[in-house]
Amino acid sequence: MTAASRQMKLGAFLWATGHHIAAWRHPKAHVTAGIDIDHYIQLARTAEAAKFDMVFCEDAAGLREANVAISSQTSRSIGFEPISLLSALAVQTSRIGLVSTASTSYNEPYGLARTFLSLDHLSGGRGGWNLVTSASPIEAANFGSTGLRPHADRYQRAREFAEVVTGLWRGKPGGASGSGHDSQSFSVRDPLDLPRSPQGAPVLVQAGASDVGRDLAARTADVVFTAAQTFEEAKAFYDDLKGRLAAYGREPDDIKIMPGVAPVVAETTTQAQEKYEELQELIPDDVGVALLSSYLSIADLWRYPIDGPLPELPPSEGMQSRQALVIEQSRRDNLSIRQLARHFAGARGHWRIVGTAAQVADELQARFEGGAADGFNVMPSYFPGELDAFATLVVPELQRRGLFRKDYEGRTLRDHLGLKRPM
Amino acid sequence: MDNGATMHLAVSPLPGIAEPSPAAEPDFSLLARFVQRAEAAGVDLVIFADSAPASGSDVATMPFEATTLVAALATVTSRIGLVAAASTVAHQPYNLARRFASLDIISHGRAGWNATMAQAPREAANFSRPEGFSGDDFRRRSEEYVGIVQGLWQGWDKDALKFDKIGGRFHDPEKMHLLDHKGEFFSVRGPLNVARSPQDRPVLVLSGLSASDMDIAARTADVVLLDDEPIESAKTRHDDLKLRVAACGRDPDAVKVLMNVSPVIDDRPAVTADRLEDLFRSKSCDGFNMQMPTKLSALDSFVDLVLPALRRRGLFRESYRGTNLRSHLGLAGGGDL
Ligand SMILES: Cc1cc2nc3c(=O)[nH]c(=O)nc-3n(C[C@H](O)[C@H](O)[C@H](O)COP(=O)(O)O)c2cc1C
Repeated sequence: MTAASRQMKLGAFLWATGHHIAAWRHPKAHVTAGIDIDHYIQLARTAEAAKFDMVFCEDAAGLREANVAISSQTSRSIGFEPISLLSALAVQTSRIGLVSTASTSYNEPYGLARTFLSLDHLSGGRGGWNLVTSASPIEAANFGSTGLRPHADRYQRAREFAEVVTGLWRGKPGGASGSGHDSQSFSVRDPLDLPRSPQGAPVLVQAGASDVGRDLAARTADVVFTAAQTFEEAKAFYDDLKGRLAAYGREPDDIKIMPGVAPVVAETTTQAQEKYEELQELIPDDVGVALLSSYLSIADLWRYPIDGPLPELPPSEGMQSRQALVIEQSRRDNLSIRQLARHFAGARGHWRIVGTAAQVADELQARFEGGAADGFNVMPSYFPGELDAFATLVVPELQRRGLFRKDYEGRTLRDHLGLKRPM
Repeated sequence: MDNGATMHLAVSPLPGIAEPSPAAEPDFSLLARFVQRAEAAGVDLVIFADSAPASGSDVATMPFEATTLVAALATVTSRIGLVAAASTVAHQPYNLARRFASLDIISHGRAGWNATMAQAPREAANFSRPEGFSGDDFRRRSEEYVGIVQGLWQGWDKDALKFDKIGGRFHDPEKMHLLDHKGEFFSVRGPLNVARSPQDRPVLVLSGLSASDMDIAARTADVVLLDDEPIESAKTRHDDLKLRVAACGRDPDAVKVLMNVSPVIDDRPAVTADRLEDLFRSKSCDGFNMQMPTKLSALDSFVDLVLPALRRRGLFRESYRGTNLRSHLGLAGGGDL
């Protein structure tokens, strides 16, 4: 593919009532999203009509927030389980990719490989798995009494898990052919009892950003999600990850890197700014601080003066990279806990752009052409309005600039992403 | 139109592709037509097996995993109950409870879980438990498992969600409940992060029951599937189970006994109808689980030949009375019964 025709990849990241923590309180947000399947069918069709590569669903096997006084002020305690949700969407759409998150810590590889292969068959080759190791102690408490396992142990298990799953998708029983798979963590005797995937194998997505997380991505992933605020951060991540591929006998183009972006887009800059302010006004302080502290893996952030600076933090056993990103931003912009919390509540540390379609397109284009992204995982502030806004305002602008497809060329998610079909 | 009849009918498409052809992609549309046909005929529910490889065979028995299949089918049907088998060895209870809670919302209250009390011989070896479980351990583990799943399904009260944008209350904090289960095999804090079921909770269908599992069934099941038996022994078995249900303090009618039958209908529909009538009128069961190949022709012979006979005899209702699976089955909690 020539540089001129290189196309951006776009994901529609669906989450509850929207990515902004206070989204559900917005007058135009669909507040019953978590119990309304028709709403999700509509969102998937909107994304498909706009030719997005995929819809993506996050997941946690437990509440996001342990303190019910906080969680009851957010819409994130209830929602659809994503594999069932995407299986339903599979037969209500025809072209768009369907990527669900699932944990390597609380599943077994045989069952997970089989379930995602089934999603892939239901959708005619449009399925994908976002591998996560699950960093939350709240999840851990739903699967035993031993608590969250250390970061390194989770990734050790994840590495073996991914190996078994990708082997099964390629028709092998676990690792070595014929003899089944036995490793430290797993034993699998049989091959899967389902036919081979229509796209060779479901697409494997990974979002680990720590050193071991990046290594796992370089070894196994087809797509990488990431959170990066500045161009420099995004570029450094992009170069680092692509640079790790050679060690695994892979080429730079074998992985598509898609940072998250949280746009607030409107016809004019002023309108976009007003829209953003309107959302920010809806954040209760205690909710903002609690969200921030959960990502920083510190339980008692609320004890510190809200208008003072972030305290020194111990190293995280949760999401190490996100903790680092937040600390870096608080120092760089000299932000108080309150300011940081409000900023963070909007997009959880992801890149935010507030502006017109042309301004948003400019920014995306700069990162795309500057070698910091192969595409973007779009995180609308609230649903359905902000997905509609991106689809009707930004996508046509990207298409006019020749940066994004006007129609699907292939049938499978691998086709859309320009990924090789695995042997 | 309602003739007052109370027989319950399930259809189980048998694992095994009707006309296996190596080139054929798994076909969702065939399964969709099959279930839509059963729905048009007013069948209470369809039950999908979920196959781990049977010993000595590596062919696809059902081309989809059952819970994903049911999710998809839920969007192309509107009344019929959809039950998927899912193994207690393959899933963690928290994950399984979530999957079915979600299916129940996707289907607007038409989902059920078929749990089997029988250990599938090869399955454990694919789930990092090459040694499997002893019979006794498996029974205790299954009972604990079912209790966790049903407990998680009740973690949110019916009126827990407030959706109050102005007041900033998404849900009432008092109406969400931890499970805090600590047992012999599992430890699960809860609650589920899926809202309460539209039919109160998904329907629990137990199968593969041995004599020693009957008390577990009596305590927990909404539906039990039992194998075909001659009238006398079927009646003894049915009466025994209902006594146990009553002994647990439940209404004997709260557990529906469906008998598995695999009739050869084509030439003798009246004989099939006679047999079902005899079993039902003698109170040997509350209805039947019709096991048949996943072929429209097999379903058609049942729907076109046997069902009209059952309806003429006042045994099977003319049409659905409610909108969710509990209401079809006459189970409490159905809401719109
Ligand atoms: C776009 C994006 C989506 C993510 N979705 C999930 C998710 O659904 N569930 C989850 O447990 N973690 C999710 N993560 C977190 C990552 O899996 C990972 O834990 C995190 O980026 C920190 O990296 P590390 O695990 O290597 O420390 C997501 C991360 C990103 C960037």
